[in-house]
Amino acid sequence: MIEFRGVSKTYPGSARPVVKDLSFEVLDGEICVLVGPSGCGKTTSMRMINRLIEPSSGEILIDGEPNTAMSGTKLRRKIGYAIQQIGLFPHRSIADNIATVPQLLDWDKARIKGRVDELLELVGLDPGVYRDRYPAELSGGQQQRVGVARALAADPPIMLMDEPFGAVDPINRSRLQDEFLRIQEEIRKTIVFVTHDIDEAIKMGDRIAILKEGGVLAQYDTPEEILTNPTSDFVTSFVGADRILKRLSLTRVSEMELEPANGSGEGLPTLSDRLTVRDALSALMGAGVGRGVVEGEGGRRLLTMEAIEGLTRGARA
Amino acid sequence: MPSPGEPAKAGDTLGLLQDLQPKLLDWGWIGENFGDEILPALIGHVYLSFVSVGIALVISLPTGVLVSRYRKAYPPVTFFTGILFSIPSLALFAFLVTVPGIGIGPTAVIIALVAYSLLVLIRNVVAGMDSVPEETKDAARGMGLTARQILFGVELPLALPVIVAGVRIATVTIIGIATIGAYIRGGGLGELIFLGISRNFPTRVIVGAVLATLLAVIADLLLLALERYLRPWARTRRA
Repeated sequence: MIEFRGVSKTYPGSARPVVKDLSFEVLDGEICVLVGPSGCGKTTSMRMINRLIEPSSGEILIDGEPNTAMSGTKLRRKIGYAIQQIGLFPHRSIADNIATVPQLLDWDKARIKGRVDELLELVGLDPGVYRDRYPAELSGGQQQRVGVARALAADPPIMLMDEPFGAVDPINRSRLQDEFLRIQEEIRKTIVFVTHDIDEAIKMGDRIAILKEGGVLAQYDTPEEILTNPTSDFVTSFVGADRILKRLSLTRVSEMELEPANGSGEGLPTLSDRLTVRDALSALMGAGVGRGVVEGEGGRRLLTMEAIEGLTRGARA
Repeated sequence: MPSPGEPAKAGDTLGLLQDLQPKLLDWGWIGENFGDEILPALIGHVYLSFVSVGIALVISLPTGVLVSRYRKAYPPVTFFTGILFSIPSLALFAFLVTVPGIGIGPTAVIIALVAYSLLVLIRNVVAGMDSVPEETKDAARGMGLTARQILFGVELPLALPVIVAGVRIATVTIIGIATIGAYIRGGGLGELIFLGISRNFPTRVIVGAVLATLLAVIADLLLLALERYLRPWARTRRA
């Protein structure tokens, strides 16, 4: 668990803080997304966790211990670090790049080699093909994958990721996000993930910390709560006018409580229960009817506009 | 007037004329004097150049690294080394021989050659350090490399090709200027050239000049090869 306790940061020569009295907790095994407009201090907040930046006041606890209990370099070797610009070492092979932290920790060669191959497989790169290449020989998306593999190398319980998929085109980004969520299912790291993109935050986050300018925490909640019940005008406008639709995209039709169709579905469009509610809604509206039949493991069930509205009930307009 | 030590057939009018207008290239003389005059001059030249570049590198590497960190020191350092670089070589040699404890000889030449190399070398060390991508250093720090590990494991290896490019320029420049060092008895190929001129014996001049040129070209090519060798990651195939 990572715990921010009244953390502030003011840079020397600047009157205004970039992070102001930040307090929140990141639970084990969760992805906590720090999101906000530029200048909201999200990257600064992240970099204070592994002490690339030292706070002006307050403290950060990791598993109950202040992160100042050990030297900065020792601390950083226990925390995975992946950034948007990736920062692969151009003069080292892919294998050597991934092996950076294990080498610092003096793992033996066989263990390092095994780990490198395992990680390349994990991020979907054939070790036989890519192990001995240099970063410049890889595409942007492949380099991002190597960056994530490198951050995971020593199996750190905590990962810091600063827009790790920011430097690739939207299609590749979406694929990398999906892959990473799949990997996270297996590895269950405690992750602090920085982005400026609210859609990425909603997709990746178990919990989202929305920061506003001056480094003030505007809201810290699950994506569902933030979309359904934004606590301030700032959050409402930051998540966007389509927040109800975004909320619907977080739920799959299979997760909804629906009545069995019982023969009343004659002539209605048929939908897969793997769709998100948002896509199902779009399909219903496209068909020009307010109802449809969902097919899936739960049998044939009836999806109505009322059921969809029920999901977002309680949301302020 | 036949010069002492040069082939001359006294009393022979034709021979006298030939001495006054000597052959451009006397291969016989080259063969006879290769071992005891030409080769030592060549070795002396290589010695002067390499020792000078070596000393200059030992000074420039730490200076360049420090200056790339403490940026305020960069303008004064380039100003000072720039002044050194702009002093005419003969004037610098002349000045150095008057300094007590230096005097005439190779030491003065080496000091001058080192002084000439500093500007180029320090500039290239700084340029090399600057060429290291910020994100690479950030990633290195974020993964827990110490400042020392970042300098020797990341920054210097990445800066090395640019530094070697500076060594190339410095070496070629120095091989040229070193010939003038013979004027203050520094040794090297300049001795052949000056002696050849004063004795009106073109073969010496040509041998000295051609060898100095060849030396510069070969050094340049070798260092270019080194520069390429140090950048294996740039020889890429796209995946």
